[in-house]
Amino acid sequence: MSKKDLKLKIDEFSSAVGSFKGVEIEIGRIYDDSWEEPMGPTPFPSVGTLRNWDRKLLDRYKPFYMPFCDLCCLCTFGKCDLTGDKRGACGITMAAQQSRIVLLACCIGASTHCAHARHMLDHLMEEFGREAPIEVALNTNVEAPNIRLVCGIKPNTLRDLEDALDYVETQLVQLVAAAHTGQEGDNIDFESKAFHAGMLDHVAMEVADIEQITTLGMPKGIPDAPMTELGFGCIDPNKAVIMCIGHNVLPSVDIIDYLMENDLFGEVEIGGLCCTAHDNSRYNTRAKVIGPISWQLRYLRSGIPDLIVVDEQCIRTDILIEAKKLGVPVIATSEKSMLGLPNRTHDPPDNIVADLVEGKAPGALIIEPKKVGEVAVKTVLGVAPTRKDYKPLSGDDIQEMAEHCRNCEECVRACPNNLPIMEAVQQAAEGNFELLGDIYPACVGCGRCESACPENMPLITFFNKGAEERIANEKFPMRVGRGAVQDVEIREVGRGIVFGEIPGVVALVGCANYPKGGIDVAKIAEEFLNRRFIVVATGCAAMDLAMIRDEEGQNLYERYPGNFDAGGLINIGSCVSNAHITGAAIKIANIFAKRPLRANYEEIADYVYNRVGAVGVAWGAMSQKAASIASGCWRLGIPVVVGPHGAKYRRNLLGRKEKDEDWMTYDARTGEEVYTGPVPEHLFYAAETAEEAIVMIAKLVMRPNDTTKGRAVKLSHYIDLHKKYYGTMPDDLQYFVRREADIPFTMKNEILEYLKEKGWVEDKIAIPDPTLLDRMVRRRE
Amino acid sequence: MSMFEDIPVDVGIIYEGERIRGRDMQFELGGPREEYKFELVQAKDLDEIEDGKIEIIGKDISELEAGKNTPFGMIIYVAGEEMEKDLEGVVERRLHEYVNFIEGFMHLNQRYDVQMRLSKKSFEKGFNSFKLFAEVLMRLYRSEMSFIEKIQITFITEPKLVEEWFGKAMEIYEERDARARGMSDDEVDVFYGCSLCQSFAPTHLCVITPQRYANCGAISWFDGRASAKVDPKGPVFEIPTGDLIDSVTGEYAGVNQVIKEKSLGEIERVQLYTAFGYPHTSCGCFEGCLFYIPEMDGYGVVHRNFKGETVNGLNFVTISDLTAGGRQVDGFHGLSIEYMRSPKFMQADGGWDRVVWIPVDIKERIKSFMPPEIVDKIATDEDVTDLDGLRAFLQEQDHPIVSRWTAAPKEEPGEIAVPTLELPASAFPIQGVPAGMGFRIILKNAKIRAEKMIIKADKG
Repeated sequence: MSKKDLKLKIDEFSSAVGSFKGVEIEIGRIYDDSWEEPMGPTPFPSVGTLRNWDRKLLDRYKPFYMPFCDLCCLCTFGKCDLTGDKRGACGITMAAQQSRIVLLACCIGASTHCAHARHMLDHLMEEFGREAPIEVALNTNVEAPNIRLVCGIKPNTLRDLEDALDYVETQLVQLVAAAHTGQEGDNIDFESKAFHAGMLDHVAMEVADIEQITTLGMPKGIPDAPMTELGFGCIDPNKAVIMCIGHNVLPSVDIIDYLMENDLFGEVEIGGLCCTAHDNSRYNTRAKVIGPISWQLRYLRSGIPDLIVVDEQCIRTDILIEAKKLGVPVIATSEKSMLGLPNRTHDPPDNIVADLVEGKAPGALIIEPKKVGEVAVKTVLGVAPTRKDYKPLSGDDIQEMAEHCRNCEECVRACPNNLPIMEAVQQAAEGNFELLGDIYPACVGCGRCESACPENMPLITFFNKGAEERIANEKFPMRVGRGAVQDVEIREVGRGIVFGEIPGVVALVGCANYPKGGIDVAKIAEEFLNRRFIVVATGCAAMDLAMIRDEEGQNLYERYPGNFDAGGLINIGSCVSNAHITGAAIKIANIFAKRPLRANYEEIADYVYNRVGAVGVAWGAMSQKAASIASGCWRLGIPVVVGPHGAKYRRNLLGRKEKDEDWMTYDARTGEEVYTGPVPEHLFYAAETAEEAIVMIAKLVMRPNDTTKGRAVKLSHYIDLHKKYYGTMPDDLQYFVRREADIPFTMKNEILEYLKEKGWVEDKIAIPDPTLLDRMVRRRE
Repeated sequence: MSMFEDIPVDVGIIYEGERIRGRDMQFELGGPREEYKFELVQAKDLDEIEDGKIEIIGKDISELEAGKNTPFGMIIYVAGEEMEKDLEGVVERRLHEYVNFIEGFMHLNQRYDVQMRLSKKSFEKGFNSFKLFAEVLMRLYRSEMSFIEKIQITFITEPKLVEEWFGKAMEIYEERDARARGMSDDEVDVFYGCSLCQSFAPTHLCVITPQRYANCGAISWFDGRASAKVDPKGPVFEIPTGDLIDSVTGEYAGVNQVIKEKSLGEIERVQLYTAFGYPHTSCGCFEGCLFYIPEMDGYGVVHRNFKGETVNGLNFVTISDLTAGGRQVDGFHGLSIEYMRSPKFMQADGGWDRVVWIPVDIKERIKSFMPPEIVDKIATDEDVTDLDGLRAFLQEQDHPIVSRWTAAPKEEPGEIAVPTLELPASAFPIQGVPAGMGFRIILKNAKIRAEKMIIKADKG
């Protein structure tokens, strides 16, 4: 593809300016700098540009390290023991090593989204042209808040997105280099770099989602996006079933197109797992969503799929082995995950189909999406009839296998959630599958129990058997990912947020590594929807919260509307759609206060941090991508709560509420430094239980700028939830009640009494025009 | 101890969104199937009421037939040194929230439209008397509205008496509305300032007058008065109007002084009834936005829920972006829909005679408050879609704006400033670019290969 914007040949030209003969002009890039907003202070920030801002946050929220591993084994000096105050051979400390691993995780996460975006962009520019105009959401002028904010450019066409990706790629290399032996040594600087990676990630994700929304006709921020079906039960096993796993929608799009063009949806079912499923359903609602990523092993074991197509990210690396057990072929479609398969991209489709149908090859690597479309459909139609007689394990089979249990309990030890697997197996040996069925909803589907079992029992299959009936009924409606929040919606919620009618925004994002099953995500969502928070969701969390029904049989998507407003439940979309969540926070700053957006990161982050009561929740956070997504939220001043497995990210960012000096903030009206109380109390917090998380979320939506009405509403939810889940009043209200008017008036006596005991005095906590940035002070007194 | 320990059901903000379906209800008070129903707050002198008194005329909750609806009236008498007749409406409107705070109690609509349902569950828990209901309301009122010193409540379920009182209540509402509508900015010496939005837009301040609602549409002068009484240190405060500088534009010395102070000197003057010169600032959450259409020399108004493009091709988002964030921008003016019902609406600029286009939704809502002769002359999104169509429409309908067009309306250049960038001396002029369009080309790493470049001196 030509990378030239202009190639001009003038054989002969004469005008008042002059005469030209045989002139050739080549211009690599023409920038349309027609954006009226003046350039802000930090366009394309480099690794150290926003360091001061990061340090302000990290000073309040000191990293609390929880080493997942006490050693460093990254170079040949090692292994180095870093416990206590020991240093490694390079001089590194435990704190620095932990934050170094955090940085690496964030770099992997951000690189993954960036590589995903780049792969799609190259392909989509080829197909739709470099000049294809960007269209993101209806009623929206700020099309790319993260890109505008970080890069200082306003993308108009697909090719403009390249500039953002070029930048992200360049920066990521710098960051990874910082993790080399004998480079960065300071843990806080490592943390700051991890924030940088997170910020880059949101740019990359924004690019990725803008590309696909623009070109693939995905919903453009519409609140009433169509419903699709989700769950095991939505797949018709009598059809030939293609199972797509991963995050990159391109190969699946071509499968769907092929099915449409050849009118084959009556014969073929396409179901997806993880974000590919989200994006398939955004592309065409006839594509079904099987479930979150953790279901892949589970679903394979059902024996239903007749063909597996993998693209990239979070796919099981042993997928080929699993497929072989089923007798179904695998098509790999990404250079990032080739699985050892032969590259058949340039072979005639019918040859590949023949090899796969006849079982001559276990699978094929096909990099060209169009070809994947044709080969996948033809293959599945060939394979499905041969699998008609496939029978998954019967109850008798399982009972017999279970009888071989050695009581070694290795399965329980291997289980990340310590589920009573051995007990269930022993019951199964007696012919009772009930406990197996109970494990099913709590199981994350990792399959480590199987690996640990000395008898090689297919335990995941056992759980499926126990939950047979449940699985058949697993069919839920889900509103498809709608993409960005419209500018006009941001304006509509203004009043509600100012008046406290909307206590906050809760974003349920991320993976499915839950401590007690996905139902917790639905519980968290329901609790806050009932309380008229705005609840947005993406990725696996957006799927899991669909799986709870009330007594009327309705799930949350049916009960709550899809608009960005109090009590709205918004499926934003896949992982890459997370950029629209930070984007919405950024737009609040830009739209309410008209804060300049362009390359103005610090000011906007300061605004979001001090004013926008948003909290991210990654209850089942598992991947490095989840780490970098969270990291991008932290730099923007948005606190994140994770589940217990999130502690394995190696550190929390915790505030110390009792230290008054940590919570000093400038009043922009006077320049005075005032005490604003510990709000938000933490920046990154791992909760042990969903109940703990719920109470913490309610607390973390408080911000120094809350109006008294807004604070009163936030406090009533915090207190009520604390009473509901702990059975007591919170013991820290004195840090959050600023004036008597902040006290929820339905609890006035009670709280006043409590505050009196604590020696609370009115107006100790100020309500300033809050900022952490000296330069934002408007007038000194 | 909790305020509601002795009440058999819980009371709190979390019950606000609760819906009670027909089959779950113990009974319904008022509602669409009853002709007679009302809720009414009456201000009295301190010695006229007995604090804490509860009166039930007709059946109590426990005697009402399960699953049925009943005529219902509720009169709340309040008194206090600071209580005023003018605040009755404000006190009355709190009922909606208060009743909804009660677990298992739902409140819809207001005044003579009121509909309330109690759930079977709450009834079974022991919420079985209006006395309990009254206790909750009294405690909430006292807790929130410190100016209420005494409170007394009467419930009526006796159908004849409800009917009788309904007539009286309707008269009282009518009287109250007439007084509110008739109240003029000129007759009060205090307005209210609201800095609530400063939490998000730090330079904005709303000036709330009897004839100009807050931009958000949620706070009237009466609401402001009540808020300022309840929380004197709060975000809603009194603005003594001071000297009237200009009654047509609505400029007051007191207002200017407060605005200057609260905006830290950024805004020095505000004229309340105009969109030019020193217009009222716009926050981030105004209900609608008025915009100047230079081609017509008139105004359009667009509201938040209007999807699509206005007559000049811009949508709400774009128009509001031009003015939000606490700025004064000529020709763009955030406002509440209620303000469009005010006789002072854009008075300095010619009022309704200057309005040429509004969405049909707005027109339907406020038609009865517009001067009758202008209603059909103002175009809506259903009548016209572009400026040519608008011009023809206005001429056809003989809109008063037409008389302002002395000759044919001039095509004025748009208000949106195109950044003019001087061309550096070394740049060469480019032919064929329309006059008035400025731009700059920056060549980076460009290779221009020219075999020969000949520059000749200009003989002219």
